[in-house]
Amino acid sequence: MEIANLPISPSQRAKLLSAGYTTLTSLSAVSPFQLARDLNIALQEASDILKVMPEFTRSESLHGGNAILKGAQTAWDMLSEEQMQKHITTGCENLDTILGGGIHCKEVTEVGGVPGIGKTQLGIQLAVNVQIPVEYGGLHGKAVYIDTEGSFMVERAHQIAEGCIMDMLDKFRHHQKVILACQEQMQPNSFLANIFYFRICSYTEQIAVINYLGKFLAEQKDVKIIIIDSVTFHFRQDFDDLARRTRVLSGMSLELMKLAKTYNLAVVLLNQVTTKFTEGSFQLTLALGDSWSHACTNRVILYWNGNDRHAYIDKSPSLRSASAPFSVTSKGIRNATSQCKRVRMM
Amino acid sequence: MAEFNEPRSKATASVSSSGNPTSFLSRASKCAKTLEEGNRSLSDDAGFAQVQPMMEDWHQPWLNGVELLEDSNRNKHFLPTGYEGIDVLLGGGLCEGQLTEIVGSSSSGKTQVCLYSAAHVADKHFGVVMFLDTCNSFSPKRIACMVDQLSSSFSGEAKERRLKRIMSNIFCHSIFDIFALLDVLHQLEFNLKHQVTSGHTKICLLIIDSISSLLTPVLGGKGSEGRLLMVSAGIILKKLANEHNVSVLVTNHMVGGEGGILKPALGESWKSIPHVRLQLTHDQGSNICNVSILKHTFMASGRTTKFVIHG
Repeated sequence: MEIANLPISPSQRAKLLSAGYTTLTSLSAVSPFQLARDLNIALQEASDILKVMPEFTRSESLHGGNAILKGAQTAWDMLSEEQMQKHITTGCENLDTILGGGIHCKEVTEVGGVPGIGKTQLGIQLAVNVQIPVEYGGLHGKAVYIDTEGSFMVERAHQIAEGCIMDMLDKFRHHQKVILACQEQMQPNSFLANIFYFRICSYTEQIAVINYLGKFLAEQKDVKIIIIDSVTFHFRQDFDDLARRTRVLSGMSLELMKLAKTYNLAVVLLNQVTTKFTEGSFQLTLALGDSWSHACTNRVILYWNGNDRHAYIDKSPSLRSASAPFSVTSKGIRNATSQCKRVRMM
Repeated sequence: MAEFNEPRSKATASVSSSGNPTSFLSRASKCAKTLEEGNRSLSDDAGFAQVQPMMEDWHQPWLNGVELLEDSNRNKHFLPTGYEGIDVLLGGGLCEGQLTEIVGSSSSGKTQVCLYSAAHVADKHFGVVMFLDTCNSFSPKRIACMVDQLSSSFSGEAKERRLKRIMSNIFCHSIFDIFALLDVLHQLEFNLKHQVTSGHTKICLLIIDSISSLLTPVLGGKGSEGRLLMVSAGIILKKLANEHNVSVLVTNHMVGGEGGILKPALGESWKSIPHVRLQLTHDQGSNICNVSILKHTFMASGRTTKFVIHG
């Protein structure tokens, strides 16, 4: 890079050149005093010139310029990191299998489906499951639950936490040591205490909360999952300018991507369905339009197949598309059982 | 003083520094004018004489057709993506020195093409692949799985070594806003310039998946800053491609146009930036993708082919 590229005034540039500073390297080792003397200018001006030198040129000269790009990681390092990662179980083994072990950290997963299919149930289940202690094979994290519809039921969360604890104790009944070690954590109330709940009443609040989360997460390092139930609700009303909605939504999705990556946590967005007219017929798709469909890393669609609930991987960079049955029981999300029949809401 | 005319803000400065020679010429003449008028303390002729050779250095040398052809034969190779269908369609693959854009709706296979090309190019010793990830969709696991398919003839330790070699040649950087992208591109340009002398393995493929998700939050509305940022990103990408023989691959999504027909996003001013534009479509429930040329510098557009994404 040359002096000519620096964003300084032409007269300063000319002074630099005539004093013999032709490259940035020649400037990198110079002190403001020396530069002021050589150029016959005020000290302040000299230090201003040195300030505009791009940040990276200085760091580059310090590190010897080995890295191709500062902050970049090789895929090999990322692979070994990913293999160390634990995933958040959904409670249903079949669903975990098609998800590659559960909900992944550092990714944004969107879950959509018709009303009553169990989106909120899955959301609450994940908020509970993320807290399973490490000894029981969990992440021992905390959850942020952003509720836009007011559908979070704390009684239900308590019930699911109880169900989760019962199943964990049952699964580890031969490991007395583990059970004794985490006796305190395995209480429904301590599970509830680690869910941070935000109630959102407008899209402005929703954006404000998401912008605030960066700060919140810097303090609460243990948070491993953010659940937004649902991301759509406020954006489906009071929005006349659809182009503006797209802009706001895509900005929001980038912010969520950034949170997921920076704080190594999973983001789960629950979405509603809408009808779309394609090729002469109306079909159900997830709401918020075509540009929004790019806003998530993975997309899971929940649907009815006869009397069974199924989940389908609609989009994912790493998972193949597959579907698996699941059921919603009093304990929460579990493997599908044949006895479970659909209760139609008449 | 001419100080006021100088662009100060970061974004504008980046545009002018990556601009074409003519914009520099106007700046240079401004610089000379300042020297003549404003700065009597400096000995005019001596100062100008020192500055002039540098100004002349700045314009690119002219090339004639034969030299251009030589340069293109020597430096601008095709990088095969590994998908036979695409490579045949493009006459060999992604061209170095060019900006290739893939458009397609959600889950049409854009990211898969990016990941597969990255693995394939890194495998064939062409050089280093730089992956700029904006949607957390860069999946090392998926690449490992692709490499596994590519190296079915190897076994045991050789396979593991091969995997490590390929994976170490792919670099990934997450980017979540357009300013970070411009920063990274400037840094990359600077590093590439200095690598020529230090003899590092060179970057041959730069992938941005997806550029549209960085641009949609700033585009539209009343102001034109969004378009400015978009075009300056385009200019610097094409500059990188041309000067450092890098093949640039970006992905873009589709939006509903008139009458509900899908069209590539980012509008008309972006349309003119990529050299090659490919559209992907994917039938639900099969792993066969259709790819068609929407725009190409030397091939007829509208040609279509199919390829298979392996699970």
